[in-house]
Amino acid sequence: MSNNLGLPIEERGIWQFGLNYDYNNLNTLNAGNTKLDDDSRQRITNSVLLGISYSITDRFALEALFSWVNQTRTIRQFGNENFTETSGIGDAILLVKYAFPEALGSKSGINLGLGAKAPLGKSDLTNENGILLTADLQPGSGAWDALGWLSLSKAFDFRPSATFSGNFIYRLTGINNSYLNNTSSYEFGDVFQANVGYTDQFLLFNTVFNPGLIFKYRKASVDKINNSNLPNTGGEWVFIRPELSVHIISNILVTLRMELPIYSYVDGTQLTPTTRFIAGVYFKLNNKNNTINL
Amino acid sequence: MKKIATFIICAIIVQYSCSSSSAQEQDADPNNENSSEPSVWSIPLADVLDGGPGRDGIPALENPGFVSVEDEFGLLDGDLILGYKNGDDIRAYQHIVLDWHEIVNDNIGDVSLAVTYCPLTGTGIGWNRIVNGKETTFGVSGLLYNTNLIPFDRETRSNWAQILNESVNGELIGEKAELISLVETDWKTWKTMYPTTKTLSLNTGFSRTYGVYPYVDYKTNNNFFLFPVPKDDRLPLKERVLAVIDGTNARAYRFIDLATENLVRETFRGKEYLVVGNEDFMVSFELDANSNSLQFDYVFNGLEIILRDNENNEWNIFGEAVSGPRRGEKLKSSSAFMGYWFSVPAFYNTEIYNN
Repeated sequence: MSNNLGLPIEERGIWQFGLNYDYNNLNTLNAGNTKLDDDSRQRITNSVLLGISYSITDRFALEALFSWVNQTRTIRQFGNENFTETSGIGDAILLVKYAFPEALGSKSGINLGLGAKAPLGKSDLTNENGILLTADLQPGSGAWDALGWLSLSKAFDFRPSATFSGNFIYRLTGINNSYLNNTSSYEFGDVFQANVGYTDQFLLFNTVFNPGLIFKYRKASVDKINNSNLPNTGGEWVFIRPELSVHIISNILVTLRMELPIYSYVDGTQLTPTTRFIAGVYFKLNNKNNTINL
Repeated sequence: MKKIATFIICAIIVQYSCSSSSAQEQDADPNNENSSEPSVWSIPLADVLDGGPGRDGIPALENPGFVSVEDEFGLLDGDLILGYKNGDDIRAYQHIVLDWHEIVNDNIGDVSLAVTYCPLTGTGIGWNRIVNGKETTFGVSGLLYNTNLIPFDRETRSNWAQILNESVNGELIGEKAELISLVETDWKTWKTMYPTTKTLSLNTGFSRTYGVYPYVDYKTNNNFFLFPVPKDDRLPLKERVLAVIDGTNARAYRFIDLATENLVRETFRGKEYLVVGNEDFMVSFELDANSNSLQFDYVFNGLEIILRDNENNEWNIFGEAVSGPRRGEKLKSSSAFMGYWFSVPAFYNTEIYNN
């Protein structure tokens, strides 16, 4: 969800909406940072994320992010295919944001946010035979998390169309005390994520394009079960993310992002991301005059 | 904006109520009609949990390769193995491989053996793969009962509880597994006892980090459990014990006792047992009418012979008479397995020897 959080803070009264589709394919088995020759296991997460942001003042905004999650686990081994799937509404995030415009000089901004992730998603789904599924197949985590968000951006006079930006998110996870039929507690590991990149702008066929190249660093601490570290969870990843935003019409922005891992270190042996694709559409609505702007 | 908010709230409620899951299995053989799991279980379904990897996510081995002691690498003297002997064919299945595969389907001469091993209960148990006259192979279902391995047989897709040695779900529900005696000891003891042993080749066809224990300090940390299981605190929960079972009852033997006594002869639930061991291994035999007149002495000196009796027969760790007038005879195997202490009372009414 962190990938899709952090709509910009606009002028007072502006509503922003973002609808994203996120496809995340994990088909690479790693031991530490070594890729193992085994592609028999595959995990795919399809998410639909709806982000809504409202600017209460020119500096102060609220953002909510809702998710619907479809997860599949496929094992192809010995000529058989075993397939497990869960679907449902996922957890939701509420973020309170505050802007410090021009804090880094002209054409710059710093935004700070604090928020919470609410456990709206179910965390006790069973398979069709009534067997409780493992935590990472559940749409929800069953726990409240706290979130901190920082976003920086800066444009330079030598190329006014270009922007250097970074955003940083820390998720302090809570504990699901009703895990495994209320017999155990489960806590996903805290997550730190940083996105640092460069975006530019050009005009083609009378349409504004914004290409960008982002480096993403993600560090997840190990999960805990009954307050003990859970083996084979947690790790560090670096991704490169080319992206392109297109103002297809004046009030609608479409973005396409492809995320490719360039470094993976996992604790123990784990499936690790192979490819990720995100497509989204964004628009703004000015509540004061009921016009749609971008 | 009220309409938008109302729409969003309604959408969330609808989606929440529609959260669902499904599990499907597709078999490469379209004629296989046994691909869906029947839902009748003989154990409490609420205690059956998805361990995470999914069916065959932990791949069992089938007729793997073996290497000689000279060609073996990667095993440390203290590493545990499960040993099996059929005539002159002697094999060791090392924990460092079993930690990653949990089941080895093997053929040793005329024996179809499944070595089943659960890293979470520390239990290694041998099963005959001939079930109802048909040879099958066992795979890892990815399910756990009381944090113990649930193998499934590929012939009927029935699920089995390892420690109960019984099918608990599917066509074969209620069927008992025929036990095949394995010996659990460390590599040094085993290769000294049987220098001609073969051991699993690490070229299994699967890319795994053999020798790296996948569960960190699980096997020594008495407070660390991945899945719920009843915990009986009469002994340290992860202490390795020998459990001799009879129906729903078990008696547990500790290394600390066998290291000093070496030989325990006693009756448990009307049957006479001989338990032999030291600080490195524990094995047990049931003394029947043919053998209960013998008086045994513990004579283990690191080599094959562990017992000598009053008829001057010498017996090995599998209860085979290797010399003396009874040469070729075999002591009756008992139903027994090695495992972490907690796993025994989690499945059986358990008493502790000498307690």
